[in-house]
Amino acid sequence: MMMDELELLKKDWQKRDKDIPQLSYEDIHNMTWKKSSSIVKWILIISILEFTLPHLLLLIPAFQDSMSIYDTLGFKKYFYIISAVQYTVIIYFIYQFYKRYKEISVLENAKVLMQKIIKTRKTVKNYVIFSLSMILFTVLLMIIGIYISEDFLQTISEFNNTKSDLPPEKIKIALMVSIGIFGTLLTLFMGAIYFLLYGRLLKKLKKNYNKLKRLEV
Amino acid sequence: MEHQFVTDLQNNQNIVHKVCTLYTSNKDAHNDLFQEITIQLWKAYPKFRGEAKFSTWMYRVALNTAITLYRKSKRTIKTQDYDSIIFKIKADEYDATEEEQLKLMYKAVKQLGDIDKALVFMYLEDKDYKEISETLGISEVNARVKMNRIKKKLRTILNP
Repeated sequence: MMMDELELLKKDWQKRDKDIPQLSYEDIHNMTWKKSSSIVKWILIISILEFTLPHLLLLIPAFQDSMSIYDTLGFKKYFYIISAVQYTVIIYFIYQFYKRYKEISVLENAKVLMQKIIKTRKTVKNYVIFSLSMILFTVLLMIIGIYISEDFLQTISEFNNTKSDLPPEKIKIALMVSIGIFGTLLTLFMGAIYFLLYGRLLKKLKKNYNKLKRLEV
Repeated sequence: MEHQFVTDLQNNQNIVHKVCTLYTSNKDAHNDLFQEITIQLWKAYPKFRGEAKFSTWMYRVALNTAITLYRKSKRTIKTQDYDSIIFKIKADEYDATEEEQLKLMYKAVKQLGDIDKALVFMYLEDKDYKEISETLGISEVNARVKMNRIKKKLRTILNP
């Protein structure tokens, strides 16, 4: 009985072509000039922001000042090495991302298209995890630096004499703890924003992809 | 090239309209999706070498856009139950029971998930299982199995 119903629907469906309102040549022509707002476009935009934003931090004077802490801590050499490693990895990620992004084609079948988008997203995900780890690592380095640096203690004492009478040791520990807490919160915050953003963007895709995959089991 | 593309699309625009009707529920969203599909078709057009028919090629791009690439824009989700002209039943063409049945069928199809809709859409467009399976990236057997399941699902929607 159902077959009949679906056949009936099919017949009706095919008869409807003549009732569909038609767009003019101009309407369609104008559309070819519009900008896409597909999820692939959004992944590209978000990724470019993710690759550039952390580096814009370096342009903020306050951040530059805080970077000079490495000088006082005698970490300058290590800092350069870490930066070199970091940029090498970032360039690798950008290359990977670009390669995978370019592979996404609307002409693939639905499943492959979804797979390629998920793969591209994975590159960004790995990059974000790497960046966040680097932030945590930098924070850790700062804390260790403060801990072992004698000069730093002296600077605090000099500064301290004029301001208050807290023992420098305590200030040192307080500073280490607050840098640690701030660094961890910053990392968690950035991570949360990222995962929420992508979670929302790819919710529909994930759902449909799982449905297609389940079909093959 | 642009002139050729616009002409081709204009002549085959019904395919896009039908996809939009299935996947959206109001006029703004319909136009929005139509535009996105047009953009995707235009972007992919240089790769279209005329080996397949333009319309065959359109099915894939249009469904990929609707299922995967399209992001519902905020302003379009609100209004619902927009009676598309495609789904309007002409009273004089069918008897009352048939008309009622068709109405219910269309409603039931609109309640299906994205992937199920794609299968039903291609079925209604008289595509064979080979083309359905190639478009979705599943095996032909699985496409058949899935279609049977959808028929069952539609039956439960129609006769709860």
